[in-house]
Amino acid sequence: MLSTIAIESLKRRKATAILTILSITISISLLLCVDIVRNQVKTSFTRTVSGVDLIVGAPSGQLNLLLSSVFNIGTPTKGIDYKSVESLKTNNQVSWLIPLSLGDTHRGFRVVGTTNSFFEHFKYGDMQHLALSAGGVFNQPLSAVIGSDIASKLGYGVGDEMVISHGLGNVSFNNHDKHPFVVSGVLEKTGTPVDKAVYVTLQGLQEAHSGSQQATASIVRKPADNHIKTSDEHEHEHEHEHDELTQVNYDSDAFTPQSVSVVMLGLKSRITALQLQYQINQSKKEPLMAILPGMALAELWQIMGNIEALLLGLSGLIVICALIGLATMLLATMRERYQEIAILRTIGARPFTLLLLVQIEAMLLTIISAVLSIGLVGALMNALKPWLSGTYGLFLSSPLFGKSSAIIILLILSCTYLVSLFPAITAYKRGLHAGLSQH
Amino acid sequence: MDLSEKKQRVQHREVECTTAIEVTNLQFAYSKKSKPILDIKKWQIPKGEHIFLSGPSGSGKSTLLNLLCGTLTPSKGKISLLEQPFSSLSNRQRDTFRARNIGVVFQQFNLIPYLSVAQNINAAVYFANNGNFKNTKEVTAATYQLLNRLQLSDSLLHAKADTLSIGQQQRVAIARALINDPQLLIIDEPTSALDTDARDSFMSLLKDVAADSTMIFVSHDEAMKSYFEHHCSISQLNGSLGNSASSSSKDTTNPMQERA
Repeated sequence: MLSTIAIESLKRRKATAILTILSITISISLLLCVDIVRNQVKTSFTRTVSGVDLIVGAPSGQLNLLLSSVFNIGTPTKGIDYKSVESLKTNNQVSWLIPLSLGDTHRGFRVVGTTNSFFEHFKYGDMQHLALSAGGVFNQPLSAVIGSDIASKLGYGVGDEMVISHGLGNVSFNNHDKHPFVVSGVLEKTGTPVDKAVYVTLQGLQEAHSGSQQATASIVRKPADNHIKTSDEHEHEHEHEHDELTQVNYDSDAFTPQSVSVVMLGLKSRITALQLQYQINQSKKEPLMAILPGMALAELWQIMGNIEALLLGLSGLIVICALIGLATMLLATMRERYQEIAILRTIGARPFTLLLLVQIEAMLLTIISAVLSIGLVGALMNALKPWLSGTYGLFLSSPLFGKSSAIIILLILSCTYLVSLFPAITAYKRGLHAGLSQH
Repeated sequence: MDLSEKKQRVQHREVECTTAIEVTNLQFAYSKKSKPILDIKKWQIPKGEHIFLSGPSGSGKSTLLNLLCGTLTPSKGKISLLEQPFSSLSNRQRDTFRARNIGVVFQQFNLIPYLSVAQNINAAVYFANNGNFKNTKEVTAATYQLLNRLQLSDSLLHAKADTLSIGQQQRVAIARALINDPQLLIIDEPTSALDTDARDSFMSLLKDVAADSTMIFVSHDEAMKSYFEHHCSISQLNGSLGNSASSSSKDTTNPMQERA
């Protein structure tokens, strides 16, 4: 009955109730957005790279190196001589190595020059391997393997041709028209920047830049070493083993480019990572910089931590302002509700019941606002998903609302309880003395 | 509580209780420093009596009704309702007693305007919580019955209170006051907003539906006296304050109203 009275009472003051709901909804949405983006950024960044022990590039900042190599954000550092890469290859501690050459785009999507070792060794999320949804890995110098988002957005499939452009802008006037790449495979969705990247061979990339026509001179080797499983093959590994290698006969690792932008290293033993990092950083042949992805991410969180705290603090204050607005609204209505209070008292409502009634009204407004906020933020995040991933490399993963969202809502409800005490106590006090002569 | 238990309780109450209201040495002042506005030595009303209580505006009628309802507590003295020491009860007990045993009808603004007729009546049932009704079906059935007795259409059940005419609102207020089958009815100037014809109709309905309850009907309009056998003025009750001017009123014939 009390909730009926509370609902009907709010319906009576529809305009003020709607405005109050609106202001609380906006403030909760803001807080939820900040929280979701904060969590999603962490999740997205953390799951992007897994199993890479060191990233080596030209000396710059460790964040710049990490962001440009793993997240395809920002400008790549200048290249490192391939001789340095060769020497890393021969290092006893190194188990595998992925060279990356950055700086080109295709219709706004980043182009990454690499070798088949990328598909073999690169892992994301919880040490998941990359898998192909169609086609295969590089099978000739002008092969391209594309991320799932590119395939769906640009409508590319295996066998389609694509021309890459020099530079990182969305629009480029320097297209490598004479060296069209042919899509040899489409990667399965990973929810990481891999989905929005075009992977081409280092050989093809260098030829496209130098303008030479050597691309047809494929280097062929036994395919057993550079194999990547498709998703089906993962499931039926043994049954289809004889089919796996049929399309891979090009040894992308055999090509020696002049330079690459970055090298990702996998070590035989992780314990040696710090030691090797020190060795690389002290390299005298060519100045190099090696970073530990985990430590670089920790630095990133440290920088972001202050901004996060600031944004959360501001959003929290906005919510408190909205809740004070709610209390003010309820308090302002107390005068006009005097008659109602008197009637309720004379039909048996206790002063505490009146206190409870006002609090139920406040809670209802906040609960409605919270539900609307969850819907609004969910819809907004889904609508902004492509833009966030395209512009900021932020890949939203499900569930959007987690434990922290639940804690935020509970905190807001607790704050509502506290701020609604002011009007509720006023109702209680009025209820104590409300009687026949005062309505 | 099952039906037989409820009947037993009602019967027990009816057998035991013969005095509806008993006021002894009652004094009330709004602050400790101010002069008491009520000072009633003794006032007793037997169960089932319908009393007309008159008095000019500001004479303390509403204060007395608030004391009888328990929304005010006496500065001194004792109020017993239905032979219960009402003024000695805790606030919580007084609220429960009021919800279960006292029906109140105001001068106007009787109903919560944003609730429907049914919701207004249900609210009284909810706060009384006396087990008279097993479920909402029973409440609805009793509400229909009361509305019919008060000559109100069933279709009004779901109408919002503020869409009703003043006369309809007054009748719904009576229905709400009676829904819990109270033993005491307190009616505060309910006819002031009604014209003469409506007033006659209202009074006859009220007398009819409240036949089994003890009723205190308050008005400053002396013409309303004619509807009641027993009447007294607030100035008579307030004897010790020296308002003896009203002692000439006819109510002295009522043996049960003793003036100190």
